[in-house]
Amino acid sequence: MKLNSLWPASGKVRAGLIIVIFFVLLAVFGPMITDYAPRATGNPPLQPPSADHWLGTTQTGQDVFSQFVHGARVSLAVGFIAGVLSQIVSVLVGLVGGYFRGIADEMLYILTAVFLVIPAMPLLIVLTGYLPTRGMISVAIVITITSWAPAARVLRAQTLSLRNRDFVEAARATGESRMRIMFYEVMPNALPVIASGFLFSTIAAILAEAGLSFLGLGSLTTVSWGSMLYFAQNNQALLVGAWWWFVPPGLAIAIIGAGLALINFGIDEYANPRLRTGKSRRKAARPAGRGSAAMSSTAASAAAGAEASSSSSGVSEGSLGGTESTETTDDDASPPQIRGSEVPGDPVISVRDLIVDYPTEDGAVRAVDHVSITLHRGELLGLAGESGSGKSTLTNAITRLLRNPAEVSGGEITYHRSTRTGESTEVDLLNLPAEELRAFRWSELAIVFQSAMNALNPVLRVSAQFDDVLRVHRPGMSAAGRKELAQEMLHKVGIDPERVTAYPHELSGGMKQRVAIAIALVLEPDVIIMDEPTTALDLLVQREVLEQVMQLREEYGFAIIFTTHDLSLLLEISDTIAVMQTGTLVEYGPATDVYSDPRHPYTKTLLSSLANLGARI
Amino acid sequence: MTTVPTTDAQNGPAAGAGEVILEARDLVKDFRGKRVGLHRQRFRAVDHVSLQLRRGQVTALVGQSGSGKSTVGRLLAQLMPQTSGELLLNGQPITAHRGRAFIRYTSTVQMTLQDPFASLNPVHRISYILARALSIHGHAKGAEEIEEKSLALLRKVNLTPPERYLRRFPHELSGGERQRISFARALAAEPQVLLADEPVSMLDVTIRKEILDLLDQLRTEENLAVLYITHDLGSARAYSEETLVMYRGEVVERGSSADVIDNPQHEYTQRLLAAAPNPRRRLSNPGEEFRG
Amino acid sequence: MKFLLRKVMLYVFIAWAALTLNFLIPRLMPGDPLVLLMERTEGRLDPGALEAMAEAYGLTDAPLVVQYWDYLSSLVQGDLGLSIGYYPVPVADIVAGAMPWTIGLVGVTTIISFLLGTGLGVILAWRRGKRSDYVLPALTFLNGVPYFWMALILVLIFSVNLGWFPVANAYQPILVPGWNPEFISSVIYHAILPALTIVIGSFAGWVLSMRNMTVTVLGEDYVTMAEAKGLPRRKVLLRYGARNAILPSITGFALSLGAVVGGSMLTEVIFNYPGVGYTLFQAVQNQDFPLMQGLFLVISLAVILANLLADIVYIFLDPRTRAEA
Repeated sequence: MKLNSLWPASGKVRAGLIIVIFFVLLAVFGPMITDYAPRATGNPPLQPPSADHWLGTTQTGQDVFSQFVHGARVSLAVGFIAGVLSQIVSVLVGLVGGYFRGIADEMLYILTAVFLVIPAMPLLIVLTGYLPTRGMISVAIVITITSWAPAARVLRAQTLSLRNRDFVEAARATGESRMRIMFYEVMPNALPVIASGFLFSTIAAILAEAGLSFLGLGSLTTVSWGSMLYFAQNNQALLVGAWWWFVPPGLAIAIIGAGLALINFGIDEYANPRLRTGKSRRKAARPAGRGSAAMSSTAASAAAGAEASSSSSGVSEGSLGGTESTETTDDDASPPQIRGSEVPGDPVISVRDLIVDYPTEDGAVRAVDHVSITLHRGELLGLAGESGSGKSTLTNAITRLLRNPAEVSGGEITYHRSTRTGESTEVDLLNLPAEELRAFRWSELAIVFQSAMNALNPVLRVSAQFDDVLRVHRPGMSAAGRKELAQEMLHKVGIDPERVTAYPHELSGGMKQRVAIAIALVLEPDVIIMDEPTTALDLLVQREVLEQVMQLREEYGFAIIFTTHDLSLLLEISDTIAVMQTGTLVEYGPATDVYSDPRHPYTKTLLSSLANLGARI
Repeated sequence: MTTVPTTDAQNGPAAGAGEVILEARDLVKDFRGKRVGLHRQRFRAVDHVSLQLRRGQVTALVGQSGSGKSTVGRLLAQLMPQTSGELLLNGQPITAHRGRAFIRYTSTVQMTLQDPFASLNPVHRISYILARALSIHGHAKGAEEIEEKSLALLRKVNLTPPERYLRRFPHELSGGERQRISFARALAAEPQVLLADEPVSMLDVTIRKEILDLLDQLRTEENLAVLYITHDLGSARAYSEETLVMYRGEVVERGSSADVIDNPQHEYTQRLLAAAPNPRRRLSNPGEEFRG
Repeated sequence: MKFLLRKVMLYVFIAWAALTLNFLIPRLMPGDPLVLLMERTEGRLDPGALEAMAEAYGLTDAPLVVQYWDYLSSLVQGDLGLSIGYYPVPVADIVAGAMPWTIGLVGVTTIISFLLGTGLGVILAWRRGKRSDYVLPALTFLNGVPYFWMALILVLIFSVNLGWFPVANAYQPILVPGWNPEFISSVIYHAILPALTIVIGSFAGWVLSMRNMTVTVLGEDYVTMAEAKGLPRRKVLLRYGARNAILPSITGFALSLGAVVGGSMLTEVIFNYPGVGYTLFQAVQNQDFPLMQGLFLVISLAVILANLLADIVYIFLDPRTRAEA
């Protein structure tokens, strides 16, 4: 392995490592380069730093630098020992409890809660107060007793989410033993959490040791940073202005703490790509697990990270070639099959030669490549494509919800706004100023997201989620009017209007999707983008929701862009079909024509795959 | 590679021809539900389900989410204990939830899971995953033999050249490739029964066929009894001899796949079939259904 | 409210555990506390104090269960034993004198630091990727600074060098405590520097955790939907982002409150602030074991209560927990 592959890329982690390594070296070699014993008196008292005494002397004439480097040994050693010990305890408690569940978990959970809630410092003081001897090891053990609990709780939450992952089930089905699953399957995935727990326990232990020694409860016969501060405080170093006596130990503790925390930043960012500064949220793929709100941020980020790493593979789909892309290799050569649309009505959205790029280190990846489509008033345009086809990027460009680093590198998107007189003005969507964009959103173009479960705010009532739209877009409306409208919309999608006060978690999946549709309709937009609105639903519910959508379209006359990977569904419901493959529009035309006479090889492949899978094509 | 599945199903052995390897009789599974007053409500996920898996034959278990089909799969894999009912392996009643008995059971009955992105541990290389499965069941000893057998397994699931896959991590593979690895891991035990829980529902349409073809190929080559758990009636029709339809924990309809799907008797099966997307419906009544 | 009931039961159990721990520590630690006490005080002790100590530990050769029962029944009567350092003042009286100072100081500063920290965290999350990210390492550094050292530095700068604030005490010693403007302003004046120490020492932790949670929440679909609804940025950030991100922050209260209490105890020592921290320090100096234990117990119970309150607030903020009832 090359050396520079071990050296982290993140500047923060580098800085943290440099700090920690510096202090470790200081602790190991420092005592060798000083001429004075840490407790030897006889030097001139209270000397400011000089060439002889790099950090000056104490009131009794001890050399502060010598005390400082010897103190580093004690502080770091106590921190390290307590960090390791408390991680061992918390791994055992967290992993065992989280994995085995049941009564053992309940007991361990309560035990953890006890040590989590009882404040550490007072307990530490009482425990050390009774210690007959206060050596380094016994202090470290006492610190462990008071500091293992937070890490154990985080680890338990992490184990709980990991044990429900399929790979644990798969390992069980393979015949792996429980111990083996716990330590070889679950624990490696919790390593970021364990590592960050170790760093925090170490910081906490260094601080605790310093606090104890500062109170005179440490081992006063050994020199530590805390005991230096204790003697400085007791000898009025502050009042005589002997800053060199008490500034270095405290500063060192703070710097080491920061160093360890910086390394932890790196771990966090590794585990949760969303936290990376300078990168934006959408790039990090799917939202975190549903249970994450209940977890601590470390656990949540670890979970999100694990999920992100699994879903980011969409990019590398078919990476090894071979088995999966054989059928489609020659498609690239085939020209796009664009047929004239016979849809009556005026255009409402037209996309011309749109190009969207994702800049990467190896050059830009073109997610949407010269795509042109036109959506007419009242038209249902079906946008089909498999994962990585660019269909979501296309709709996100239309809705102006593209996230960094995706950027539109060419083309235009025009919204044709109809005025009262029946004329139409053209709005350049890509260059709409922020304030106009805000006014345009939802009142003229609304969205139904793929998973209503995640698209509704879990802590707001349904009524509030109607309300905020109406407050912004219909400022004149009264509260009673808003409520009435929300209830009317719910009634329209077949939900009891009384449910307007419900929270999203009180509704079933199909009902949530209906609520999302009702919210989309509330301002009677011209266009609704539906991003896989039925994919997450059961077949029967899917059918009901579809029929509802069709009925509402009849009533309101809005146009729909309906994206899905299910081509057979689109063939049934849409007026026009656009098929996308790796960023390009390969086939575009009236649904009936695409069905009866698919021209592009990729469309043919899709249709024949469906037929082979028993769909009624 | 394979014959057209529909004809294959028709020409294949008729239901009941193969020897029964795994049989479930009156399986019941209750989960603890919400507590109401003093006692907990029970939620019956599986309600007296009986089925037989035969050598060299695919049985499809069809149902929507919450129907209990995956729970049946887990009960058959002995990943959870049943509330009542019994399992017979080669005619012998068996309970093996833990310890050596369970490992012996898994060497006969293997299961693969739905989500190819979640069912392989992201921290392990493919080589580790296969090596563990091989050594648990004692089918290979020593590094050389393990590598040799691992390569053979990869070849069996059509991942060629196999050397390219062994050192990879799961995230470096596509969904379809990962599902193949899952099959390879199951085959490492040299099982007689393969329980495939929704093997293709998370995959793109063009890849689904390849994976189901692979399942069909393994059934013939390894002479496996296969339980194909799915929510998709169409693919059950195309890839299985016998189909069971589950609804709320019960099997509401069973029979040869062609009969069940072409001529459904139960009202629920009929509704499911009616709800499936069907472009022909539109073509036969253009404009009638949705546009005025 | 089943969820609430479960929480209350958990905290009652924790409180019981704290009581029991307090009972067991002197009896389970290696060595005899009495011998230890005599060794360390080298005969400077009031003979009555030794008896009080023996009584406190029920060193009557009675079985542990009987001792435990006696301990619990005297606790119920508010009897924490007699102090050794201030023999024969009851521990309960000393604790009662110290508590208001700490509750005032720590209570106010914790609320200030929580509000300041979460607010800043939300702003930093919204501005992530911009220049404001450069304050993160500085915050990390602040988070690692020991409270007592921060106190020393503040005293050095603002009291010793600039002379703006007093070095020690909670009010001017010549004043008689009472509800008069002179006394109250003196208390506030003396509290500024200790309060500043605690706020500076603790707010960075809130900032960092709130920023991380908000960044995570801003990636959720409902935030995207809020943006697509055309809501103003502020509303998206507060009603959708921060509103959801604050939930785990409240859960994390337990983890942080213990640290704040520990840190503020040391701060009190520096400022000779007459709260529980300073009193505990003096108890340690005097080997006053009954007082130490009494203080530990009271501090623990206060923190347990604060956690219970935080959980109740959580129930009001997250409808999902209410539904479990």
